[in-house]
Parts: sequence; structure tokens; C-alpha cells
Amino acid sequence: MSASSSTALDPDAAQRAIEFCYEEGWSDGLPLVPVTRDLVDRFLATTIRPAAEVIGRMPQVNRQVTVELAAINAAMAGCKPEYFPVVLAAWEALMRERATGGGGWQSTSGPSPLIVVNGPIRTELGFNSAGDAFGPGFRPNATVSRAIGLIVRNVFGVKPHELGQATQGLPGRWSVCIGENEEESPWLPLAEELGVPGNAVTSTLLRTSEFVDNRNTSNAEQLLGDFADTIGRSGALLFKHALAGVVFCPEHAQLLAGAGYSRANVAAWLAEHSGRTTDQLARAGKDFAPDVGARSPGDNARSDEFQPTMPSADPTTMLIAVAGARNAGISMVVRYFADWSGTSVPIATALPILEKEQSA
Amino acid sequence: MIGHDRITTSSSKPPLRTGTNIEGGTTVLNAILDPTGRADELDAGAAPTTLAHRRADLAGAHIGLLDNTKHNAMLLLQEVGKLLVSEYGAADVSIVETKRSFSVPVDEEIVARYRESCDVVITGVGDCGSCSAAAVADGINFERAGVPAAVVLTDAFLTTGRMMAQVQGAPEYEWITIGHPFAVLDRNQVKERARRVLPEIVATLTIGTAE
Repeated sequence: MSASSSTALDPDAAQRAIEFCYEEGWSDGLPLVPVTRDLVDRFLATTIRPAAEVIGRMPQVNRQVTVELAAINAAMAGCKPEYFPVVLAAWEALMRERATGGGGWQSTSGPSPLIVVNGPIRTELGFNSAGDAFGPGFRPNATVSRAIGLIVRNVFGVKPHELGQATQGLPGRWSVCIGENEEESPWLPLAEELGVPGNAVTSTLLRTSEFVDNRNTSNAEQLLGDFADTIGRSGALLFKHALAGVVFCPEHAQLLAGAGYSRANVAAWLAEHSGRTTDQLARAGKDFAPDVGARSPGDNARSDEFQPTMPSADPTTMLIAVAGARNAGISMVVRYFADWSGTSVPIATALPILEKEQSA
Repeated sequence: MIGHDRITTSSSKPPLRTGTNIEGGTTVLNAILDPTGRADELDAGAAPTTLAHRRADLAGAHIGLLDNTKHNAMLLLQEVGKLLVSEYGAADVSIVETKRSFSVPVDEEIVARYRESCDVVITGVGDCGSCSAAAVADGINFERAGVPAAVVLTDAFLTTGRMMAQVQGAPEYEWITIGHPFAVLDRNQVKERARRVLPEIVATLTIGTAE
């Protein structure tokens, strides 16, 4: 930035505007970008969708999200206008989740969206998909996920301690957005495997994410066994089943692919081997599992019986992505809040990128 | 450049509206946009809560139970229903349903079914983030349809219940609280809770006539 343009800025006015946004109760705790008509119009110009189109409803409070309200919150979150099609795709992906149509945003579980971005738009916009994939430091990752949180907070009015009832909430809630490391993944891009090649978002609500550090074996089944142990732990089970996916680091993904494992093979192996015996669950008061409702202490009959954590080996129930650096065997089990739609949403960009393609 | 000299720490400022910003009678063109979509919404604070007409007692009354699926809820409701028949002269438990979605308030169709089938409703147990808020909205919906309702929440969800009452335009709406935690209780403990909360349920369904 040149000296002349830097002195033309008015930090005093900026500070007053930021404080105003705090006083209105719009902030998640961090400073917001005060949004003007001109700024939101630049967001709206990135999509062909009309500003007044309703893209989400919360019937229990009779509130609805329009494209324009999403744009205002995305701008407040610190997004650049060109990120907005990614926000819209992420929002649409989340709206496909069963839990977001019910009480997911208000839940005591305090779930967080997981947002996975695929396609060349990752590099065009600067999404991080390599080292520190779940960490901070990259504007698109940080602000796209924050935009979703601000929409829920401001448009739906789900604020902590009020309509929001998270008992503890997730570390990193509203900040879990990763690019898939397509360059170092041995598999097809996640969204392409789900039938949406190119720029796309895949998303679900997470209950938590749990690391698996395995730099200890080159045997694929031993490695998968380590994941099965984490997926199968009793603490994750409120109901009969608990679903999960995995965000593999490149090293783990390449080891598995090298041993002949596709995504579907990984999902099938983990579905079969993740779980606990009835006796293990009895020690946590969770051995009786009705088809509907919560687990409870049972009579520990058939104590050696294995109770699988996930209901089926259907690979479309397990979100498997690749992200992170190629420098260690450290991956993340991503534990769903409920289930996952098993679909991806294409990122529809309006004129600017389209023009670029046509002129190329 | 933002020229927001009018942005002060004053709390008495009027709400910002999308596209306009009015302060001291001056419309400012470059306003900060409101991200809630509710800047024009009126405060529901002044609206009195409309309750259904109350009977003097529950003698001969048909009891409706609405289970919100939460653990132990149905057990508590059925125990309460049984005691109302055996000890307060209620005719019977005439309708029992389980909510399809615990987080979404009952719609007109469900309310109409209860209005036709019973004289009073007991519902709950609000024991989670969304179901507690929804149970409060259920109670308000039943009252507005003329069916006295007793809504049971655990005491961990007071704030969200109050927020939902405000959203529904009935900020003064009252419900019944029982101690938290509730889901972990065994069968006998739930029955004991039913016994303890019974007088308050009877009082809620019979006292006072609004309107």
C-alpha cells in the first residue's frame, strides 16, 4: 500500500463503525466489516440469484434467509465479493442436511459446519488445502465459514445463551472450512466422486473432530484399525449409532490407496470394524440400544457381542476427504452431528469468472 | 470513506433500516446495513399473553398428552395422565401423540386434532436446546386455539424458553419447570417426578380465566 492511500484511510471512522456493529449485537466476538449498500451490491453481482430469493427457513421462529441477507453477513464476516458463490453453495449444502431443517442450530451439541471446497476455485481465491488445513491464517477459509455462523446468529437469531443452547460448543465452531488437497490426494476430488466435478462444496454439521496420529505402521489394516478405535469409542454414542467421516492427511490417504483402498473400500472397512462390545458399552451405561431413542444401561446380555458404531457400509454415508501437509501421518476423524446428505453442491459463479473462461 | 459522525455510543438511536439510516431526522445515504432482516420488526414486549378459558376442576375432563420424543418424556406424561384420572376425576386420556420433529412447534392440524379430542393438554419434556423452545411455542399455540396447556421444561432451559415466548409474541407466557437433569432418571424416579409436579399441572390447567 502506498503512503498516500494509507493516509487517506480514516481509522477513527473505521473504529467507530466497528464499535457500532458490536453495540447492535451482530458480532460473534470478533470485529465485523461494516457493510454498505455499495459493498453488498458487489457481492450480489457475483451471483445470478435474485437478492430477494429465500434460501433458508427456520420455521420454529418464522425467520428466513434471503440471498441479500446472506450477502450482508458474508461481507460482515470479511469475505471478498468473489467468495460469495462459495458461501451460497456451502449454505445450500447445509440446507440439504436433515439436522439444519430441525433443531440443529439450537442444539446442546453446539455443532459446527464442516465445509470442503473442491475445484480450481480453491487456488483462484486462495483457499488453503495444505498445511494447517483446520487452522487459521487464510482469509477464504476463515471468512466463508464465519459467514455461515453470522447468518445463523443474525438472520435466524440463534445466539449463545438465548435460542442457542450449546452446552460447550465445538472448538473451532464456525471456522471449519478446508480446501481438499486434490494435488496430493490419490483419489478423485470428493465432489467429483459424488458426481459434481469442478468447483463445488460438500458440507455437513460436525459434533467434533478427533485426531488420529499414526506414524507407526505401513500396514493399511493396522492404520485403519487406529481410525476404527477412535470412531468406535463409547463417548460418541448417545443413540444406537453415531456417524463419522475422515479427513485424511496425504500420507495416510496415499498409504491406503497404495494398498488398493478406494474411498468406498475405506468406508466399508471402517463401518465393519468400528464399534465396541456390549460388555465395553455396559461399563459406560450404554449397552442397551433401542431403535428409537437414547441408549441406556441394559442387562449386559451377550456381553461379547460387537455393536458397530455405524449402521451400514454404504460408502455414501462416510465423508472422506484429503487435506493437510504431506509431512506427517496425522488425520482427523470428523464426527457428524447427525447424518450427512452425501451430496455436493456446484459453485455457480456469475459473470466475472464466466467472462474469463469465454475469453480464454 | 465512511463518514459516520452520527455513530455514537448512544443506545437510544432508532433502528437502522436496510438502505437508509435515520438519526435525528436526517437520512444518511451511506448507511451500515442491518444483517438481521428484522430491523423493522416491532417489539412484541407489550402484547399480553392470551390464555384459554380454564375449567374449575378436571372432573370429567378428557386429557391430551403430547410427547416430544425426549428420553423419559412419554413416561412422565403417561404417569401424569394416569394420576389425573385416578385422583382428580378426569374422564380419560383421550389422545396421545408423539411429535414428528421435537424442534418444530405444533401446526394448526395437530392443534385442531387435540381441540377435537381433549379438553386440556400436557406436553414436554423440554430437555434440549430446540425442543424446549418448541414446547413453549406449542403451549402458546394450544392456548391461542382455546385448549389449556401445561408445558413441562427442565430448569436448564429457562432462557431459551423465554426467548421463544418473545418470538411468539407472548413474552409473559408461563410454563412448569422440573429439576435438571431429567433424561438420566430411572423409571421410579420419573414416576416420583410426575407425582411431585402433579399439583402444579392441575393448577396450571384449571386456575384463572384470561380474556
